[in-house]
Amino acid sequence: MIIIADFILRLAFWLLLAPLLPGVINKVKAWVAGRRGPPVLQLYYDLAKLWRKGVVISEVASPGFVIGPAVAWVALLSSALLMPLGPAGSVVSFRGDVLLLIYLLALARFSLAWAAMETGSAFEGMGTAREVSYAVLAETAIITAVLALIVNAGSISLITMLSPSTGAGVALLAAGLFIVLLAENCRVPFDDPNTHLELTMIHEVMILDHSGPPLAVILHGASIKLLLFTLLLVQVALPLGEMSPLAATGALAAGVLLVTVGVGLVESFLVRLAFRRVPLLLTAAFLLCLFALLVVWKGRAQ
Amino acid sequence: MTQGSLLLFVLAALLSSVIAGIRWPRAWLALVIGGAITAMAAALWTLLGSRWEWQSTFLLGGEALHFRLDSVSAWFLALVAATGGAGAVYSREYWPDSHYRESAPKGRIWWSLFLIFMGLVLTVSNGLHFLIAWELFAVCGYFLITLDGQRRETRAAGWLYLAASHAGTMCLFAFFALLALHNNGSWNLVPMRERPELAPLFWLALFGFGVKAGFFPLHVWLPSAHASAPSHVSAIMSGVAIKMGVYGIVRFGGWLPIPSAAPCVMMGLGTVSALLGIAFAFVQNDFKRLLAYCSVENIGIIMIGIGAALLAATHGDAPWGRLALAGALLHIWNHGAFKSLLFFCAGSVLHSTHTREMSRLGGLLRTMPWTGGLFALGALAVTGLPPLNGFVSEWLIYLGLFDAAVGREHIACFSIPTVIILAMSGAIAMAGFAKAVAMMFLGRPRTRAAAHSRECGVWMRGPMLALAGICVAIGLAPVVICPVLSGIMADWRPGPADIQALAPISTLGAAQMTLAILVLAAAALLWRRTCREDLRRGPTWDCGYAFPTARMQYTSASFSGIAASWFRRIFLPERKSRRPRGIFPLESVCMERFPDTVLEKLINPAGGAALQLYSAARRLQHGRLQFYILYVLGGVAGLGVLVMIGGSP
Repeated sequence: MIIIADFILRLAFWLLLAPLLPGVINKVKAWVAGRRGPPVLQLYYDLAKLWRKGVVISEVASPGFVIGPAVAWVALLSSALLMPLGPAGSVVSFRGDVLLLIYLLALARFSLAWAAMETGSAFEGMGTAREVSYAVLAETAIITAVLALIVNAGSISLITMLSPSTGAGVALLAAGLFIVLLAENCRVPFDDPNTHLELTMIHEVMILDHSGPPLAVILHGASIKLLLFTLLLVQVALPLGEMSPLAATGALAAGVLLVTVGVGLVESFLVRLAFRRVPLLLTAAFLLCLFALLVVWKGRAQ
Repeated sequence: MTQGSLLLFVLAALLSSVIAGIRWPRAWLALVIGGAITAMAAALWTLLGSRWEWQSTFLLGGEALHFRLDSVSAWFLALVAATGGAGAVYSREYWPDSHYRESAPKGRIWWSLFLIFMGLVLTVSNGLHFLIAWELFAVCGYFLITLDGQRRETRAAGWLYLAASHAGTMCLFAFFALLALHNNGSWNLVPMRERPELAPLFWLALFGFGVKAGFFPLHVWLPSAHASAPSHVSAIMSGVAIKMGVYGIVRFGGWLPIPSAAPCVMMGLGTVSALLGIAFAFVQNDFKRLLAYCSVENIGIIMIGIGAALLAATHGDAPWGRLALAGALLHIWNHGAFKSLLFFCAGSVLHSTHTREMSRLGGLLRTMPWTGGLFALGALAVTGLPPLNGFVSEWLIYLGLFDAAVGREHIACFSIPTVIILAMSGAIAMAGFAKAVAMMFLGRPRTRAAAHSRECGVWMRGPMLALAGICVAIGLAPVVICPVLSGIMADWRPGPADIQALAPISTLGAAQMTLAILVLAAAALLWRRTCREDLRRGPTWDCGYAFPTARMQYTSASFSGIAASWFRRIFLPERKSRRPRGIFPLESVCMERFPDTVLEKLINPAGGAALQLYSAARRLQHGRLQFYILYVLGGVAGLGVLVMIGGSP
């Protein structure tokens, strides 16, 4: 009984809280620009509206156009459920669950790429090509960060991996993961979630032809992914396992808020990168994670 | 009754199918399927725990016949049986007598012989007989590849295959001969782990079997052979025949003492194969070449697993090596299943559109829903995405490498870079198969051939469904395979063998099953929500472009352009382009080709130089008698001088 209640609470956490983050980011951006900006709950209204709307589907598209977003959403939600929530732990934890998490993210990417390519549009083809190509670098950076955590904690399940402090490598690791967070969640300087009609886009261009409930599912999935990466970053940066549960919960919440505000600030003060520089920044993220790995390695050898 | 009588039945069935293949396709099919099922039964029997050995006094080439079926060879034998049977069914529609009056009977005969000799390679336990079976197996492969010998490209591919295969066989000759020499002239093959003086021989085996397995840089024959062969042949070549090379490495890796550098070299080669194989696959525009290069990647992954297992074996049988080995063994089967499935799907596309260019296809999902769906399933499996089988084996290998990274210090120096590059190649594989699926099956048909494509018939669809079933079953219930894997590992080398004690594989299975159910439920829910009365169909919006044509779609080359530019120092692409000029440009061309760097920049120039040298030497032999007498005189005089200078001892 407790297990079921626990599961439902977690599900509610991920489903209900995730769309809050983009709202906070937008509020920060508006605040910096001196505007009033959309309400924090704007994404909730958008999702509710989109869910009620009808759908226009391209004549070219097959059912995969709708199934793709559904698969991506399930994959993202499942990977979210594998992610431990500070002192509360995770629903299921086993050796090697971190790989399942990474591969579920890849599954989400594959199914969104599929849905995008259904329309036969050159725009969406372009976005998909960029998405899957840059994912190569992003995934490499993530696995390197995971290796650093594994070597540090001496364990390969997420819950024990994230609890101890990473020591001196923590700043490098956090910087690397922050860049990956920006890239994976279509944020400036990689992508601009506000625009639609420019060629320098990656994720946004993939969903040009989606509308109604499928679009709602994609947007909700994207917000889950943002929360997932934020939580990962905060838990890597803070040694939550060494705090009391109450303090850890507070630190987690504060950390998530801080990262979200940070994303908003980056978006306010930076411009989108020139396109050929995107791989360079991702490579920098990979190198940061690699150096973190080396630092952890050195620290452990002594 | 033992496995022996079953195998005897298999041999009889296949031998009679050789005769039946000449005229009676139905009888041939029945015999091959009967043989395959029986072989499968024998293999399963062995895998469930009773090995079989049979020694006769009958001499062949001065050596007594000796057969052995232990769980290592049974694991491969089951794969041969599964794909051999499926391919035979597939070829009935794909390579029918009505179309290929000449080559269809030949194809059947060589197919049966190919299966027989692969079975023999797996069961003989005598070096000399192994060599004979190996050579005949390679030759059968040549005839299968060149079934469609009308095309120049196919003949060239077959020739390259034969040459490469013999380079490998030469090493194996040396290997087995030296082994016999060290064993006082006995060719019998038995475990020889306690004799460290044999360790250097492992290098010969690694090279000889490596050519057949096709890891980088010995893969040069593989892309063209697999792309030009008929698709059912590509399927068995890629899914099974290259695994014979892996079999050799696994077998002798288990039986021989290992030189201390060999495991690291194997892991290094595996890593390079995985990355470069899949990078080459990503930039291909020919879908069968893409699949062939992807085999190089998968062989690389298998090699990483075996290398890690050997590394662990030389470091006190650490359990992480067993994890990696279990992953590699499972990946052998997984790759056999999904790569054969993908080649069957590719064959179905080729059958109905007659082109291997991805940029001439598109939108096939509507005309060929079965092929498209199954190809997508195969693509998900080959990229190692949950909840299918590819993920299980890659997960096991990763787990082993992670444990190695956690554990002993200097071993981690090998496992950490391997993990990073493995993850990178996994991401490129995802990109490559996203491209293949999108270019072939999604969007709009780019040519008439693609628009008029038709779904394949039941005979082709059946084997595809069966292989897809294997992929799904291993993915959702990996626990079932565990005892089998444990048995193989116990037979391989002594050491810890219980896989379930090392990895939470039942939890993973449950997670995969839950994921599959959730995916289906969510897809159904969203589909129902979308398909209401207010669903509208319209042209692709494409940012408001009014008249999109099929040719405006993104092409295969542009899709892989970004990643291709990262690897351009390795790919060395050849580009021909004529830019549009003037106010009213007439035509413009841009062609880009990605040659196999090792073959075209290394082996071809070296071969050309050798040929020049030989033709220069041939000028000495011109058929003029007086010059020959001069040679003889010169030779005698030279000898005389030699004797004079040398003096008396």
